[in-house]
Amino acid sequence: MKSAACLLAALGLWGSGSWAQPATYVLEPGHSFVHFEVLHFGTSTSSGRFGPIAGEVTLDRAAGRGEVSLRVPTAGVDTGLPVFNARLRQADLLASAEYPEAYFVARNFRFQGGQLAEVRGEFTLRGVGQPLSLFARHFACRLDEGVEVCGGDFEGEVLRSDFGATYLLPFVADRVRLRVQVEGRRK
Amino acid sequence: MNRLITAAACAAALTAAHADGGSYAIDPTHTFVSFEVMHRGTSTHRARFDRKEGTVQFDRRARSGRVEISIDMNSINSGVPAFDSHLRSKDLLDVAAHPTARFVGDRFTFVEDSVTEVAGTLTLLGKSHPVTLKATRFNCYDNPIFRREVCGGDFETVIQRSQWGVNHGLPGIAPDQVRLVVQVEAIRQ
Repeated sequence: MKSAACLLAALGLWGSGSWAQPATYVLEPGHSFVHFEVLHFGTSTSSGRFGPIAGEVTLDRAAGRGEVSLRVPTAGVDTGLPVFNARLRQADLLASAEYPEAYFVARNFRFQGGQLAEVRGEFTLRGVGQPLSLFARHFACRLDEGVEVCGGDFEGEVLRSDFGATYLLPFVADRVRLRVQVEGRRK
Repeated sequence: MNRLITAAACAAALTAAHADGGSYAIDPTHTFVSFEVMHRGTSTHRARFDRKEGTVQFDRRARSGRVEISIDMNSINSGVPAFDSHLRSKDLLDVAAHPTARFVGDRFTFVEDSVTEVAGTLTLLGKSHPVTLKATRFNCYDNPIFRREVCGGDFETVIQRSQWGVNHGLPGIAPDQVRLVVQVEAIRQ
């Protein structure tokens, strides 16, 4: 991988040469959110949004490495329905009084064909840490008035019971899909 | 409470589903209308319309139905107040002139007992064009809280926003393709 990167850089095919160095990106609040989706009575999906999420991502594409540390403001959950938001904040779901934020910290980045494919780390919700893989459905970088912006769409799944969020199991499913939109501006 | 819901749900499960023709009201607490659009080739924006209402006529035996949903365009909610303001402006959804969008679906496609497609007309910014919502899931159940039959599912389609005259930012900031997602439940009246 390293020699391939060097060869591509030498041929000028690596894009901007600076991409071969580790670079740190700060999440853009206008483009960084987590949506959750959970099946209600086996019939329709109930969904809601957390965010903007905050944090930083370091990417070293040449070395195929990265690091991410994100804070998810779960107490500000927004489903569009005040009663649903209030229910979600209770002790048997998000336990927002005690745990207003969730965290995602990851150092295990998997690249495939030069593209970010998976970020594996630990998700902490209600103070309980569990492994979580986020799979890249889309990832791209662009230049925004001379500043590099990278971002994409990621998806992962958790079992809410693993974190102790048990209300209305099994009528509202245990499996919760997380859909993450993120864009980071290079420092 | 949990035990009560469990007991009620078990009782409901033993009752045969009775989806003869009937009228259903959309349950606003289990209905989510949102759209997704790619932002500058990088990540997907999602925004939701928080206020919506509607009715469904539905007859499983006759394999027919009609749905009418009205969406309050002022209730758009992307999580970014500045983006919401821009979406409401004349550049995009022009909600001052067109405060309501409407979907009327009158052609239901079934596979066995499940709805797989609802075809109809979407009226947005005063323009009407045909749209077919495809069901990614569909189900009816006896809801233990309402003690009524509830039918619903997840529906989606991809529209070309330029058809309705929403051209701002094409194609560099956001493409023409916008995915509409409707997650809906309706309670038998």
